[in-house]
Amino acid sequence: MAVADIASAGTESMPRQSWFTRNLAVILRHGIINFFMIVILLPLAWVLIMSVKSRPDAMRGDFWPRKFDFTTYGYVFQKIETLPVNMWNSIYVTAGTVLLTTVCAVLAGYALVHMRPRGGGIVVAALLASLYFPTRVVSIISIYEIQNSLGLINSTMGLILPYVTLNLAISILIMRSVFQLVPHEVIEAAKVDGAGPWRTLLTIALPMARNGLVVIFIVNFVTAWGEFLLCSTLTNDQEARTMPVVLAGAQGGLGQWTWPNLAAVYMIVVMPGIIAFTFAQKLFFKGLAEGVVKG
Amino acid sequence: MTYASAAEIDARQERATRVFDTLRGDARTWLFLVPALLFFIGYQAYPIIRVIWISFTDYQYLTNEPANWVGLANYAAALSDPLMWVSLWRAALFTILFLPGCIILPLILAILIDRISNPYLATVYRVILLIPAVIPSTLVFVLWKWMYNFQSGPINHFLVNTTGWFELQNAPQWLGGTALTLPAIAAMEVWWGLGYHTIFFLAGLAAIPKDLPEAARIDGANEWQLFWHVTLPRLMPIMMILVVLRFGTAMAVIDEYLIFGGFNRDSPTYTWTIFMYDQAFKLGLWRQGYAAAIGMIGSIAMMIVMILLLRIFRTRG
Repeated sequence: MAVADIASAGTESMPRQSWFTRNLAVILRHGIINFFMIVILLPLAWVLIMSVKSRPDAMRGDFWPRKFDFTTYGYVFQKIETLPVNMWNSIYVTAGTVLLTTVCAVLAGYALVHMRPRGGGIVVAALLASLYFPTRVVSIISIYEIQNSLGLINSTMGLILPYVTLNLAISILIMRSVFQLVPHEVIEAAKVDGAGPWRTLLTIALPMARNGLVVIFIVNFVTAWGEFLLCSTLTNDQEARTMPVVLAGAQGGLGQWTWPNLAAVYMIVVMPGIIAFTFAQKLFFKGLAEGVVKG
Repeated sequence: MTYASAAEIDARQERATRVFDTLRGDARTWLFLVPALLFFIGYQAYPIIRVIWISFTDYQYLTNEPANWVGLANYAAALSDPLMWVSLWRAALFTILFLPGCIILPLILAILIDRISNPYLATVYRVILLIPAVIPSTLVFVLWKWMYNFQSGPINHFLVNTTGWFELQNAPQWLGGTALTLPAIAAMEVWWGLGYHTIFFLAGLAAIPKDLPEAARIDGANEWQLFWHVTLPRLMPIMMILVVLRFGTAMAVIDEYLIFGGFNRDSPTYTWTIFMYDQAFKLGLWRQGYAAAIGMIGSIAMMIVMILLLRIFRTRG
């Protein structure tokens, strides 16, 4: 792609100077950009290739293997006993968190903009303040106590409760600025037509806030899927933990965690997010512009 | 204590009834806010208030004895502990290592990408840029724990086997609490935020009217002057937001230090957050009163700097 761009730039020829001098700025620009792109992609590419390396190649450490071995992906699910459990933990904890946070953020964001509750300003101020305070770090002391009094220590399902708050404030603020783009007149018109607040929200406002919804979906998915501090503090057993936390504790190269095994599990855990984002990127960028930059 | 005058009580009652009416009138509105507020109060507001309270007590989690009010004793003890100051300085050092790279590199990259006119290429770049941002935090750490691995990591493989710049005996030990650990974590964080911050700057660049740089060029400004006098001032607001936000996250890093550093007090990763965590969940009978005081001192210290930064930036416009 970059090469094509350079080549097309070269056809608008100016005589006298050589092709190289004329396009020096363009070449330099693409060179630097592509250098950064490689820096971003290289670590991931390295793990991807590691996951399909044969064992001797993995030991050798060269980037490109002499022999490929695609059986590792099936192998890890059979041989690493807690793996299906950890995957399932990750899936339902993340799903629960994303669902609850989205519902809370949509309702609160909508109410703050279009129902104008008195005291709404205080809510917004409190949400903003929580973004500037290291809430996540300091509150862990008391969250342990709360979970213990609810009998939720070592409970995977119980993780959903504190997880919801991880991005709650920012999600509400994003939905708030997205709903601000929905004109008040539209909402008033629906009210005049006899639609209650629930119907107005679900059939009129929410479809218009679709892009913002994609943003908070992805943001919450990423946070919940990779949460470490709460999960490692509030659970003790490997069976109760989510996949990334198990991976973080895995001693690479030893026992069941041979490098290709670790790489295969890593790719299984990291790919859903990347694939989902690649497909939703158009909506995501639109939502980002509506919710974050303007908000 | 002085007593309120009758007029004041009347006014207060009037206000109370008004508040009551408002609440009743807005009950349906507040119904929409209840789910969010339940979580926000239950798992954010209450825990913070509770931590503030226990920071004034001798609360130890693993004893059955009730907590006693000790006033500022925990704060005094923490402030006279050299480890408190060392751990604060370590967090600040990490922030100093991390902040410039996380602002300047994305700025350069955004200015370069902004000039790409091919829409297909621009989209591809943007998608690649945001890939690290959609990798969940722990998976970024697992990835880089591997990159930095002493024996099997590709970085040391490159330094020892590919280039021969190092012998296996003196190859750099990146993680595990060596002097290199903080710079290594900072580099990882720059990598992680590179794309996301570039997207931020790109949004800012897109908001600059196109005729502005053109007019400057006609007036004979070179690229450097253009950047310095036209582009940079326009990007200042975004840059300030990023500096304040990233300062906050960098000072309060904890997961990375737990994964890469552990609880060795001599490790440069033993910052105030780890100090707090160590006291609250690892040492002795879990002296959470003391841990809470450490956490509050760290939080207040970084909040003061953040408010100062905001002040400085606001007066500059």
